[in-house]
Order: sequence, then C-alpha cells, then structure tokens
Amino acid sequence: MPIKCNLCEAGAILKRPKTGDALCKNCFYFAFEEEVHKTITDANLFVRGETVAIGASGGKDSTVLAYVLKALNQRYDYGVNLVLLSVDEGITGYRDDSLETVKRNQQQYDLPLKIVSYEELYGWTMDAIVKQIGLKNNCTFCGVFRRQALDRGAILMKVDRIVTGHNADDIAETVIMNVLRGDIGRLQRCTAITTGTEGALPRSKPFKYTYEKEIVMYAYFKKLDYFSTECIYSPNAYRGFARAYIKDLEKIRPSAIIDIIHSGESLSVKKAVKLPTQGTCERCGYISSNPLCKACILLEGLNRGLPRLGIGKSHKERRKLNEMLAQKEEAGNEKTTPDNSRETTENASSEKSASGSSKQKCENCSCGQKCLAEKVEDLQLDRRKIDPALIDF
Amino acid sequence: AIGKSKLIRDGESVLVGVSGGQASSCLLHLIQEGLSGRAHKKLRFKPGLVFIDEGATIGMSAEERLANCTQVLEIMEKTGFPCYLKALEQAMELEKEAFTNTADQTDTASVTSVENLTKLHRYDKAEEELLALMDSLKSVSAKEDLIKSLRQKILIDLALKKGYSKVMLGDCSTRLAVQLLTDIAQGRGAHVAMDTAFADNRCNDITIVRPIRDFSSKEVAMFNILNNVPSVFIPRITTKAADSVSIEHLTERFVTGLQAEYPSTTSNIMRTGEKLHTEKKSSSENQCAICQAPLDTDVPPSSALSAVRFSETVSRCSSVTLSIFSTDTACCGGGTCQSEGQKESECCGQGDGSCQSKESKLTRDEVESALCYACRLLIKDLGDVSKLPKHILDDISQRQRRTKMKSEIEDFLLDPSNTPD
Repeated sequence: MPIKCNLCEAGAILKRPKTGDALCKNCFYFAFEEEVHKTITDANLFVRGETVAIGASGGKDSTVLAYVLKALNQRYDYGVNLVLLSVDEGITGYRDDSLETVKRNQQQYDLPLKIVSYEELYGWTMDAIVKQIGLKNNCTFCGVFRRQALDRGAILMKVDRIVTGHNADDIAETVIMNVLRGDIGRLQRCTAITTGTEGALPRSKPFKYTYEKEIVMYAYFKKLDYFSTECIYSPNAYRGFARAYIKDLEKIRPSAIIDIIHSGESLSVKKAVKLPTQGTCERCGYISSNPLCKACILLEGLNRGLPRLGIGKSHKERRKLNEMLAQKEEAGNEKTTPDNSRETTENASSEKSASGSSKQKCENCSCGQKCLAEKVEDLQLDRRKIDPALIDF
Repeated sequence: AIGKSKLIRDGESVLVGVSGGQASSCLLHLIQEGLSGRAHKKLRFKPGLVFIDEGATIGMSAEERLANCTQVLEIMEKTGFPCYLKALEQAMELEKEAFTNTADQTDTASVTSVENLTKLHRYDKAEEELLALMDSLKSVSAKEDLIKSLRQKILIDLALKKGYSKVMLGDCSTRLAVQLLTDIAQGRGAHVAMDTAFADNRCNDITIVRPIRDFSSKEVAMFNILNNVPSVFIPRITTKAADSVSIEHLTERFVTGLQAEYPSTTSNIMRTGEKLHTEKKSSSENQCAICQAPLDTDVPPSSALSAVRFSETVSRCSSVTLSIFSTDTACCGGGTCQSEGQKESECCGQGDGSCQSKESKLTRDEVESALCYACRLLIKDLGDVSKLPKHILDDISQRQRRTKMKSEIEDFLLDPSNTPD
C-alpha cells in the first residue's frame, strides 16, 4: 500500500530526515522553503534595500542557498540585491572544478559574481601552504585566510551582509568541537545566527536549522547542479571526529542535531570567566582579539619559514626558535645567550640578529625586524592557547 | 575537593550513593580513610550509605538480584555506617510529602543484616509498573535517561526523609565527561553545568556533591588495585550491547577513543564544563517535573525549539492551517492534525471541562509543558503518558491547577519588581 503524503493526498516519495514524516515532492519543497523563510523572518536577517553576498563555493550548500534565496526573495519580496562571492584557495583538483560550477550557477541564476583568490591577496596558495606545513594543521590556514578573503571581497563589491550555507550539521559539529577543544569564547558565539556585527561585515546562516540530508534531497529532486567532492586535505582534520560522532548520533536519534544546537544556544558562561576582547589588528586593521590578527601571524610564519608560528603552543615555538638561534650562533659570530631567552628584550635583540642574517623582509609592511620582534613579544604574552578551530567564517 | 569548596560543614549528615562499582567503592574507601583519626586532614561529616538495586531494568531474576545486593551490602556493612537499600521500582511510588506514610519507614530502616533482603519481593506491583514504563519507551537512550532521573529522585527522597542535607555521588571525571557530551547531544545544554559541577543544587533543599570528579577512571582503578578496595560489577542496561544502541554508550566509546589519541580530551571537556553555569529559577514551577532542572523552554522566536515546532507543523498539518500558526502552540491545534503522536490523550473524550472521570488524566501537551527540552524528547518516545510514575503526574496536575488559578487572578497580582517601594 503506497504511503500517502502527510499534507496532501498525493503519494509520498520521501521521508523527511528531520521529522520522519512522509511527504510528496511539492510538499517537501514547500516545507523546506517555508522553514528557511521562517528562519529568516524570525531572526530579521534581511533589511530592505541591502546588498547581500552569498558565499558560493560550488558545493551543495551554497548552490541550494543561492537558488532558495533567489526564489524566496521573489516570492516574499525581501527587497535585497543578491550577489555571488567566491574564494579561490588554490587547491588543484578541488577548487578549480568547483569554481566552474559557481560560474555555471551564475549564468543559471543570473547573479553577478566575484572571485577572490589567496594568490592575489596573500601570495600563497593552499597547495604551497600544505607543502610547508604538512597535512595536520592546514585547515587553520585555509579557514583564517578564507574569512578575511570573504570580507575583503565583500567590501570590494560594496555589500552589506554576507550569507553562508552553513547547515545544522555544521553548527552541531562546531559545538561539539568547541567543547572538545575547550574554546569557551567560540562556544558562546558559534550558535548565533548572525555573527560579527562590530567592525566587520555581519555574516548570517539562513540554513542554521536545515539538515544536510534535506539540502541534498532538495538539490536532488530539483536537479540542481553542484560539485560534490570533499576537500582533498580534509581527512585529517579534527573536525572529522566530531563529524563521525554526529553521524552516528543521527542514526540513533535523528533529532539529535537540532538538540545539540538547542544545547549550544542554552549554554551560559560564568561571569568570572575571562573571554577574549575584540580589538583591531595593528598591521592590517582587521578585527582581532590580539594585537596582531591571526592571518598576519600565520602569514608571517609562512614567509619566515616558521610555518607553525600561529599554531600550537607558543612556548614550544620559542624553544624551536632558540634552537635555531643556537645553531646560528655557532655558524655566525653573534653573541646571544640562549639562557636569557625568556626575557622579552633579549629575544627581540636576538631576533634582530637572526632576521638580519637571513635578510628577509616583511611582505606586508617594510619595517623589517621590528614587527617580527613585536610578534614574538605578542606570542610570549599570549598565555591563552587559541586553538586552531576554525569556526568564524 | 571537599575541603576546597567548604560546602560540607562539621557534623553534617551526608548520604553517599553507592553503586558497587569501582568509582563508588573508591569513594567509600576514601571516606573511611578521611574519617579515621589517622587522616592528615580529617573529614568531619556523618555519612550514610545507600545502594539502589536496578536489577528490574534488565530483567534479572530475583536470585541474581539477591546475590548482587548481598555482595554490595557486605562491602557497605564493613564500614560501620548506617546502610539503606532501595530498589528502583520504589521510584514509581514515591510520595512527595515527607510526613505521610509511616508505613514507609520500615522500608527504609537501616538494613543491618542480610536476612532483610527478602523485602525485595514486596515491590512487585511497582516493579510491574516500572517494567511497563520501560517497555513503552522505544529507544534505549530514553530508558537510560529515565533510569538516571528515577535514581536521582530516590536519592533525594531518601535524603529528605532521613534528614540528610547532602548527597554524595561517586562520579569520576571520565564518567562526567561522557555525561557532559551526552547531555549536549540530548538537548540538555542548559543543565550541563549542574550535571558535572562539584555541587549541584537543583533541588532547593538538597545539594548533590561529587567529590572524586577530578580523577579519571584509570586513576580510580589503579587506586583500587593498590589499596585492595573491593567492588562489585553489576551489569547495566547497555553492558555488552552494540555500539550505537544508545547515545550515552556511543558517547562513551567516542570519548575513550579520542582520549587514546589526544590525552587531554577529558580534562578539556571538564574544564569547559567548569566554565559554564546554569541559571537557577526561583519557584518550583519552573523546574522540569522529571529531572528537576530549570526549564529551558522559554526561548526567543529565533531558536532551535521554535524551529522544531515549526517543522513539525509544516510537515504534518495542511498548509491552510499554517496561516493561523503561532509560536505558542505546540501543534496547530486544528482537527486536521494527522500525526499519531498528537492524538494520545487519555481523556475520556469529553474535553477538560466536562470530564466526569474521577482521575483527571493529563494530555500529552500538558505533560510536555512542564518538562524541559530533553525530557520532552523522552516523552516523545513514550507511547502512553499515564505510565509515568504517579508522583510526577501529580506534580504536573498540581502545576496545571496553579496555572489556571494564576490566570484567573492575573489582573490583580502585583509584580514585585514594578513597585518601587
């Protein structure tokens, strides 16, 4: 006996992963779109007359996002201008294919498109970065750089708000990952539907309550075209553990994903806990909780041949730095005392000699030795270990 | 940890929950050591021990349960403290008021000798009720959750009746880390802080304390071996079960697996838990009826809870009724609702006002309104709401009546925060 759709009398062709109800195709479209619409209106995501950039990667989330937002914008008249914004990280075999998909999307939906690339913004592609740093912490670089890249591209297009295709599964993974990493600051912020309102462009996630499976189902039935491979560098990411856990949870209890989001929303932090305050980066003016923003630190590390500068424990880095200096001491004639390396000023002066001997110059500003000393000082002052958990993009 | 928190005063009576397992045996040993004169820093409270027999949940035969209880009692009696023995089915028939039921006093008197164990058979009716309740819960996760809540209720009830002001539990850090993640996965994010903190004050009079929360399970096991601390292994509902049979079991496997590769996992999780806190609501009406935690369902429109409600409505009711949807109703309320879960009212069918039956049965919606998010999920699994223990249903009925009373006199109530003097 064929199962009937819950809403209308037609035969059901699918079962919703979110609620387990049987629906026919059109009712599913209706339910899906209505839910997204409700998310948007409840949170007042859009203001009439805004220009909104859709972070388009060519994957399923952003393709469906572009489609649905365009449809809802017409149906409910939000009055926003939609544009597509895409980031080229320089990963061969993955990103160049997905960019083709984005270009096709642009033609299909008739929306203006801008592509920004790591190469032109930072001078490094992800392939080159991975060659330097290996496969374990590369996601940090990609995530931090991408966040800035999106913001810079959006400013170029004079956009008021960025929307990304993060779905419920992503946010649940993020909550779990932040608990595992002990990152209280991010834990508080990650379940907010709109982040980054002070100083930087606000980013919203209209798909916050939509399951990944439903997005795939929607794209499948509507025959939307998207690029469906995983990033080739992702298997070793820490996020993979959280993802595997969530997939298993979903099998036991399908509503677990929304439950985790609810938990995340209900968490409240003790007032005595110190949270990182937000300021601006001294070098590039971007928003940052340290004197130098993470992107600048990472970039410096790459340029100096110390790729792990922004990652991991700072005292280990200092130790490596001291070893490097000790070796240079044997080679050169400089008088540096490794024992006093804990003093800030000593390190600064030894740094000066090191940078002098290696004849490197800053990429972004031409102050040469001074900013490096500044950075090492910052690292020493940086007691709190801000783990490479990339969430905020 | 006990000394640091200064929570336990000299001479206070503390009830210690012993499950017979490694961690609680370790706690027992430590308490003994601490109370004896040799200790460096003497502990000064008066402990009482209680063991809750949960054999009914896994269908253990009476002889097996007797054997387990005997073993645990032997260990407990060696300490010389007053011991109590309770069975999980007693949770079905707890009475709220402490001064009624003098008949109950004999049940909870100190069990000083092993012969008193024949009392286990007396709870047959309650046992049947418990089994019926367990059976009507479809998923193992829900069962575990309910067992945990019932266990806590028994402990608190016993503590209230016997005049203990604190309850001590033997939870080590590994167990608490797993508990934290399980809580998050079930939607109990708001209660995470209470469940894993040193002091848990969800009930107004009784504080739950967890002294060995800083030790991992490996350390506890090592301690037990080195000090020859005896412990009894009693199987639980998920022992030797497949990996993904319940949320807690899956989480346990996940955390221990991660711990093997990244040794700082449990301490990270515990540290995160320490930084969180739970807001305590003042009146008892804002507590969940099952788990006694503050209700977390008072949410703004843009939230997971309202998204879930909306999804259910959108998927189940016809699009016509969608236009009258408001965020207050759990369901559209219309007669066109076709979902199975919503039609489960045990009412005689005449509606609340003209109900003629003596026992007024609660509808599912009413029960849900008195529960926190995660306990609502539990109820979703339950086929028949009236199978819940009677005292919970009574509590909810009472709340319903009070809400009605309040709505009648609402216009005349002064809000204390509005009046300046």
